[in-house]
Amino acid sequence: MVAGAREGTPADAVLGVIPRLVLEPSTVEEAVEAMRACARDRLRLLFVGGATEIELGRPPAALDAVLRTVRLARVVEHAPSDQIAVVEAGTRLSDLQRLLSAHRQRVALDPPLPEAATLGGVVAANAFGPRRHRFGSARDLVVGMGFVRADGTPAKGGGKVVKNVAGFDVPRLLVGSLGTLALLTTVTVRLYPLPEAEETVLVPDLDAMALRQVVTALGAEQLEPSSVAALLESDRFRLGIRFEGFAPGVAEQRRNLLALAERLGRRAEPLDDGAARAFWGRHDAVRGDGPLRAKLSAPPAALAQVAGAALMPLLSALQGGAAVVYPTLGFAFASGQPAAADATARAVESARAALARLGGSLVLGAAPGEVRALVDPWGPPPPGLDLMRRVKARLDPDARLAPGRFVGGI
Amino acid sequence: MPSTSQRMAGDLAGRMAAVVGERNCISDPAGLLVYEYDGLTHGRTRPSLVVLPGSTDEVVEVVKLARAAGVPIVPRGAGTGLSGGARPTPGCVVVGLSRMNRVLAVDLEGGTARVEPGVVNLDVSRAAAAAGLYYAPDPSSQSVCTIGGNVAENSGGAHCLKYGFTVNHVLAARVVLDGGEVVDLGGPSLDTPGYDLLAVLVGSEGMLGIVTEVTLRLLRKPQATSTFFATFPSTDEAGDAVSGIIAAGILPAAIEMMDRLAIAAARAATGLDWPDVGAALLMDADGPAAEAEHVARRAVEIARQAGALEVRIPRDEAERQLMWKGRKSAFAAVGRLSPNYMVEDGVIPRSEIARVLRDIAAMARQAGLRVANVFHAGDGNLHPLILYDARAPGEEERAARLGREILRLCVRYGGSITGEHGVGAEKADAMSDMFTEDDLETMARVRCAFDPAGRFNPGKMFPTPRLCGEKPGPYVAHPLETSGEAERW
Repeated sequence: MVAGAREGTPADAVLGVIPRLVLEPSTVEEAVEAMRACARDRLRLLFVGGATEIELGRPPAALDAVLRTVRLARVVEHAPSDQIAVVEAGTRLSDLQRLLSAHRQRVALDPPLPEAATLGGVVAANAFGPRRHRFGSARDLVVGMGFVRADGTPAKGGGKVVKNVAGFDVPRLLVGSLGTLALLTTVTVRLYPLPEAEETVLVPDLDAMALRQVVTALGAEQLEPSSVAALLESDRFRLGIRFEGFAPGVAEQRRNLLALAERLGRRAEPLDDGAARAFWGRHDAVRGDGPLRAKLSAPPAALAQVAGAALMPLLSALQGGAAVVYPTLGFAFASGQPAAADATARAVESARAALARLGGSLVLGAAPGEVRALVDPWGPPPPGLDLMRRVKARLDPDARLAPGRFVGGI
Repeated sequence: MPSTSQRMAGDLAGRMAAVVGERNCISDPAGLLVYEYDGLTHGRTRPSLVVLPGSTDEVVEVVKLARAAGVPIVPRGAGTGLSGGARPTPGCVVVGLSRMNRVLAVDLEGGTARVEPGVVNLDVSRAAAAAGLYYAPDPSSQSVCTIGGNVAENSGGAHCLKYGFTVNHVLAARVVLDGGEVVDLGGPSLDTPGYDLLAVLVGSEGMLGIVTEVTLRLLRKPQATSTFFATFPSTDEAGDAVSGIIAAGILPAAIEMMDRLAIAAARAATGLDWPDVGAALLMDADGPAAEAEHVARRAVEIARQAGALEVRIPRDEAERQLMWKGRKSAFAAVGRLSPNYMVEDGVIPRSEIARVLRDIAAMARQAGLRVANVFHAGDGNLHPLILYDARAPGEEERAARLGREILRLCVRYGGSITGEHGVGAEKADAMSDMFTEDDLETMARVRCAFDPAGRFNPGKMFPTPRLCGEKPGPYVAHPLETSGEAERW
């Protein structure tokens, strides 16, 4: 029996699988102890942070214990002048942002549900939001990590400075690995200054072709927004373009965008604070809600084909279906309630086939059991799967960490 | 009569030549000479053979032949690396990718370029320039270094402060593994499902496989760039200016510092009228015009408050280029001040620049050597240039010792032993200053997943040679283990 463990209850279930034990270490040392004990007892275990991405992936093939990281919530170090923070993995993203905002800084990660999401969970799930357009995703912002291997060995990778090429980039390997390679205990992130000014301009009433046209023109005009996201409403897109930076730059970019829209014959309206909050709030709701959530990925230039051949057909298989598109990054997120499991599953497979032809993919971030029974949440295995299995075998040779949850049954 | 090993090398050369063609298979001593070292010129090893494949298929065959012969492979790009990453291992085959230098496709609409590894960094930007796009990572050697080498080293450059390193700009790569498997990592869209093995491949210093094709992300050129050059009494005030600029929420495209010696070297090399001062900063702010202008103006104010003696703003693009030429030439120009010099590459938290530079100066005095500093101040990436005279007995060793002490200093301040030059052959033993045995073992496990035989670029990066424990199967001691050259873990 692992010290400090309690018995699992139905409330601790992960995708319907109830763990026998639940562990909640409150320090990194305790986490190492817990991992050692689990290794000794050969327990199969799964890590849970804020559970915002808990439905991503397949249900664990077997589960003895859940290790919850929420008590690993200390900010170990914040060096404002060096713009880095070393943070324990269970720290809630919104708590961290509040602390950093006192120094006019932030982590430039804005995934859905920041009040619940933990930094470790965000990193492990590679969760992101619209600011990825400007700042990249976790792989671009994480500069170091502390972790505990499956065998209970604590180790680290990367460092505390942004520029660092010493050794293999183990931290980037762990980004998006969904707890299948190691337990993340601390994450060192690069920080950015909070912007002095922020403004969102709305370009409504676009079809997919027009959306692509506006987005291409943004680039050609050398505008540099921080977020570009479109909400799909009935069959038209409402495009929100957010600028952040120093006031003179933001004002100039807004002016240039309005002039650009006029040249393109498009209506564009700067949103006041309330309207901007409403737009991004609606965006957050679409990203974070719904019993079925799908992430569609394709090269950005293929936007019209993605919308026509994958996104729209998928939405028609959902009740209350809604979608958000990040047109500069090549992502679309669809959410809603499956009308009928088999029809939804068919729509997922057909969207996958369309995306595969474009060089893209579809991953289910959440789905009801009836749909899961019919489709793999990850889709067809990616080309490097054999190599991925070899990496898993080296770091977790007994396949005890979230067995079966990841791509290809890893 | 040729020895057995010579005959074996000869047989292998014949088989390799059948794959890549006689003229692309080099085995004569004169031809091998230039492959004995890379940009790090001290420390040389002659390879047994150099092959220059022209396609992925040829690389596959070359790897299979090397594997069958049981010889290590050292991949090589343009050989400009500064950590001995492309230095041959005894008995190895060097696989040079210089012939694979085609730009395969440029997708201006999608903003990507697919290139072979031997394409020169700057040629990617040239291929995209007409559409207003460019490839962002800009190592100082960008007019000669190649994309394959950039991928191996995760190369940065002056502008990576704002735009990131190679890893942030590679979308996909094709890699040939030991055994000849060809694997595509990443893809045309972001977030291919599965582990981000592409991110591990970038910066793996040629130790996981041979990259034969790379898809790069191209960026839109910024609307405007505002540049200024400021001089200071000493690196203390210049360091304060850097800290102040960053603290004001400014993210410069680049902010470079030179100390007195480096300024003198640049002046001697270019004839620029830079004054004899303790330190200088060269900063680029870029982006939408009003933003770049505003940021540069704020930064100039901060520099003045920090004690700038003089601020120069280039009148036109030609003058701006000249300032950058001065900065970029400072490295090589140090050769004018001293018969020999070593380039170090360490990283510190940028708020510690002034203190660390004072420490380095004291250490240099104690060692009886001069150190010039020209570096990427925005991300705390120091490049101390240690001047010495190789003819003076013991001076080279003293310089090397000072270099190693400087790296330890960087680690003590919470930094890194390398910001962009890589670990390679030169700094393998310094890895223990920064990482524990368990940290290193974790990295070694990743390597074993890709390359269990340790075929690619063995002997680099790790302080102790390592063998991959194969499981399952009974334990059999490896010859290197019994001879004490390597340990199993």
